[in-house]
Amino acid sequence: MKQAAIRFATERPRTVYLIVVLLVVVLGAMMARIRIDTDPENMLPANQTDRVFHNAVEDRFTLHDAIVLGIVNNEHPDGIFNVSSLDALSSLSQSILQLDGVIAPDLMSLAVADNISQEGPGTIRFEWMMKNAPQTAQQALDIRTKVSRLPLLNDTLVSGDGRAAAIYIPIERKDLSHPLSIKIRELADALDSSDEYHITGLPVAEDTFGHDMFVQMGISAPLAGLMIFLLMLYFFRSPRLVVAPMLMAMATVIISMGLLIGMGFTVHIMSSMIPIFLMPIAVVDSVHIMSEFADSYREDRAPKEVISEVINHLFRPMLFTSLTSAVGFLSLLLTPIPPVQIFGVFVAFGILLAFLLTIVLIPAYVVRMKPAALAKLVAPGKTPRTNTALARILRRSGRFAFANGKLIVGLAVALIAVSIAGIYRIEINDNPVRWFKASHPIRVADDVLNRHFAGTYDAFAVISAKQDDSIATFIADAERVLADIDGSLADDIRRQLQVPAGERDRYFGDLIALLDDALFDATGPATVDAFTRLMEDAENAQVSARIFQDPALLRSVAEIQQALLQSGVVGKTNALPDVVKVVNRELRGGDDSEYRIPDTVPGVAQVLLQYQSSHRPQDLWHMVTPDYSSAAIWLQLKSGDNQDMTKVIETLDAYLSKNPLPDNVEFRWAGKSYINVVWQNAMVNGMLFSLLGAFAAVFLIMSLLFRSARVGLLAMVPLSVTILGVYGAIGWMGKDYDMPIAVLSSLTLGLSIDFAIHFIERMRGLLRSGEAFSAAAEKMFEEPARAIARNAIVIAIGFTPLFFAPLVPYITVGAFMAGIMFLSGLSTLLLLPALLGWGRRWLLPQTAVEIRPEHATQANSTLLESRP
Amino acid sequence: MKNFAIAVVVSLLLGTGAAAQDTADADDIVARANLAAYYSGDDGRSEVRMIISDAQGRQQRRQFTVLRRDISDGGDQQFLVVFSQPSDVRGTTFLVDKHIDSDDDRWLYLPGLDLVKRISAGDKRTSFVGAHYYYEDVSGRHPGDDVHELVETGDQHYVLRHVPKDPGSVEFASYVTWIDKTTWLPMKIEYSNASSEVYRRVEVLEVQDFQGHPTVVTSRVSDVQGGGQTDMQFRYIQYDLGLPAELFSERSLRNPPRQWLERAAD
Repeated sequence: MKQAAIRFATERPRTVYLIVVLLVVVLGAMMARIRIDTDPENMLPANQTDRVFHNAVEDRFTLHDAIVLGIVNNEHPDGIFNVSSLDALSSLSQSILQLDGVIAPDLMSLAVADNISQEGPGTIRFEWMMKNAPQTAQQALDIRTKVSRLPLLNDTLVSGDGRAAAIYIPIERKDLSHPLSIKIRELADALDSSDEYHITGLPVAEDTFGHDMFVQMGISAPLAGLMIFLLMLYFFRSPRLVVAPMLMAMATVIISMGLLIGMGFTVHIMSSMIPIFLMPIAVVDSVHIMSEFADSYREDRAPKEVISEVINHLFRPMLFTSLTSAVGFLSLLLTPIPPVQIFGVFVAFGILLAFLLTIVLIPAYVVRMKPAALAKLVAPGKTPRTNTALARILRRSGRFAFANGKLIVGLAVALIAVSIAGIYRIEINDNPVRWFKASHPIRVADDVLNRHFAGTYDAFAVISAKQDDSIATFIADAERVLADIDGSLADDIRRQLQVPAGERDRYFGDLIALLDDALFDATGPATVDAFTRLMEDAENAQVSARIFQDPALLRSVAEIQQALLQSGVVGKTNALPDVVKVVNRELRGGDDSEYRIPDTVPGVAQVLLQYQSSHRPQDLWHMVTPDYSSAAIWLQLKSGDNQDMTKVIETLDAYLSKNPLPDNVEFRWAGKSYINVVWQNAMVNGMLFSLLGAFAAVFLIMSLLFRSARVGLLAMVPLSVTILGVYGAIGWMGKDYDMPIAVLSSLTLGLSIDFAIHFIERMRGLLRSGEAFSAAAEKMFEEPARAIARNAIVIAIGFTPLFFAPLVPYITVGAFMAGIMFLSGLSTLLLLPALLGWGRRWLLPQTAVEIRPEHATQANSTLLESRP
Repeated sequence: MKNFAIAVVVSLLLGTGAAAQDTADADDIVARANLAAYYSGDDGRSEVRMIISDAQGRQQRRQFTVLRRDISDGGDQQFLVVFSQPSDVRGTTFLVDKHIDSDDDRWLYLPGLDLVKRISAGDKRTSFVGAHYYYEDVSGRHPGDDVHELVETGDQHYVLRHVPKDPGSVEFASYVTWIDKTTWLPMKIEYSNASSEVYRRVEVLEVQDFQGHPTVVTSRVSDVQGGGQTDMQFRYIQYDLGLPAELFSERSLRNPPRQWLERAAD
């Protein structure tokens, strides 16, 4: 197959070009169908239980994604409560309400908030908080006083410090957030106001992120390409020679991305990094080929012959490096996060494609080069290339490494120990808003708003009635009551009893309505008695199904709210007990001592009936379902750090284990902050799993490649040291372990192993060809070491354009790539020779020099026998 | 049967009268519609069942009895509203003295809190106990609050457009009513916002005659944009019961007048 491929490439270069161009054109055209996906929810599979519940909760409590507009006044002594600021807020709110795509009834702003207050003894007043903007300074301050008595608004619509106000703008669809936020910004700019306006909110963040991803792909990836091109030009000094790997890398990227998009996958933050990952990896193999071709080519030899020889020489290491890199990325399939899986699969595909393209496209290109160009390629570089600073350093370090095995191994062990200590310090934490740079307007808005308000990050603690058999019991009882009653009315009721019950409240409501009518028409004392009794039973059953009108449960919810505040990271909670307490207080005269939950179910029910007689009765259904069987506590968190949400979860777990909820209810989390924690945990566990899986797979491949578990183990050393070193550094630096950091492990595994394979394979090749160990060691630090070093440099520098990316994850990846390349280059070029020099008799027994596949078993047994 | 005969005669008379007045003045139509919708008889009683459905079809029910007494036709009125269902709000009572020239006087009794409160409201366009109906839909909007314009005289309906005199006091920019030429009942009302989009619709689904008064027995208000609706069914309707004035006093809040709340046959 290898020979066929080389023959095909060198004899029919035009056909090779045609096929590649065709693939690029067809799949490149697919890229027009790109769909960007920035929804963090998609980190979880659509059927993941927490995600399903989260979505059910959003429907149940009609929760929408919202743009958050913050208005800050730092100048006026009364803060935001001055005539001009409130006037601006009022007119801005009215304009926003008119915008298409805004869910007007659910918009939250002082301008559309309801107020309940006292108006003289015995009189309660319902009115808009601020139907029209205040005219005097005193009126403006009065609004502050009013808001301070309404816990649901205070610190949510107006900041506790009185400096800022917020407008929550629910929108119909997430993809409207960008156009809407632009319109809102225009409306704000058009106001005659000196206040600061900040726009944030998850949909805005997601949308902006999608936009910045495009920028990244449009700028950073081509920049990486340019950087690699320049570096290769420096190393090979022949644009003609360097153009080939570049075209090959571009073809790889276009075909892989085209395929991903063409297959209908959305482009997520992870997959948006595919081009920039593939670009350097794709050129790595061609760097080896070019490096060796340039070293071996003489004008007296046919290029076809030389390139065939080079490919033959490098085929095995290249195949294995590509396979192991692909395995490293494929291991991401073990992470239960769809975008990470897709990323892994398509990078792996791209790596294998790059291998295929390398062994056909590069030879095809080389044989079509003009002799003059070939001559130019060889002439100027020949002598200097073996005498560059890099070449001299490598030679010296090689001699040093082979001679000072113990020292280097000792240093490596020390590094590993320090790294392991560092790994124990790693803080697992992610926060999608931190994916923006600190100077990004969204980060700025986020900082400002969370400084002033209770928090812009949401989570929901949902308490619901458990399914039980109360309806079955009721039906059985009811049928006994009706047993001796005849007539069409009783038959109607029997039929109604059997109507399948959806929600309990509805079931009993329908039954009560029927009984109510039946009672009017009923004749005969027995019938009337039976119906009356059924009516009472049904009413009682209905009332007890409305668990969130039960004062005891409401008090439990209020205590849970208190417990949540104890976590220290919850800015505020909003829930049904707050509504009940406020309305109760105002109904009972407004005294603070009446800020409590009524003692009876009818008391609660009637308070809630009053709340619904407002301009915004629908607000109640964000906190409880209309059948009062499920309620949500809305948590406002000041940060989107998963660590903070985790702390909240732990706090409540601890509280609930000491103060268990009644048996008839169950508790679950929902909300974006919680979903983020879920996928983060899935990712951390999944990454560990996938890393171990990849480690095992790569070890297996190495042992097969080298026909020796010992050498396989040796090959794993540089990547192990690198992974430990990188994660140790992350621990010591205090950098949070987040998604981009997690994915780096596969990348390290995939790239570091390449160097080890090349090094060991070449070393063994030299030994096999009869070189003495010392001579082979010398030769290793000529061309082979240079190729490895060049590769490390090309990749490290190839990723540097990521420093200019607008989003932090890309910058992180860019920075750590340089570190990874440095460490794996170093461990390959120092630690491997050190280990070889130190333990060569155990690792490379001289008897195992000739290893052919058919002798593999024998060779292995020989290895065992020759153990010193 | 006798009542029915009278009703036919009355409606025929009204119908003929209406047909003769196709060019009727808009204010006049509104005045007659106001009388037909809110002032039938000198007093009246009705049992109301409300089914409030949200956009997801989740329902809440309310059932209450309304007693009404007119001080003068088209003028001040008194209402007593006593809740019977759901059982947890049973006995909750509203008392309203509706005034044409001033704000209404409203009282509230909550048995669960054993509390009588006087209610002062900034406006009348708040939800009526969580329904899509507003307080003003139930008590009647003062004809003098809007400027009326007859936009179409069809075979069955007068179509009028109404623009509020004080736009700041209401959430709509205008509304259009379809008034039945025979019964004078407003059969459909559509409210539009500032962007001229209809966002709210009130419609009459069924009319029956009681004691010669064409009376709405089923109506619906829909949230056109957000979804959700409230159906209102009126039953056990009676007019001219001779309800005494003292019935509409604070005393009735705590002591609902059983005698007048009892159902009578349709």
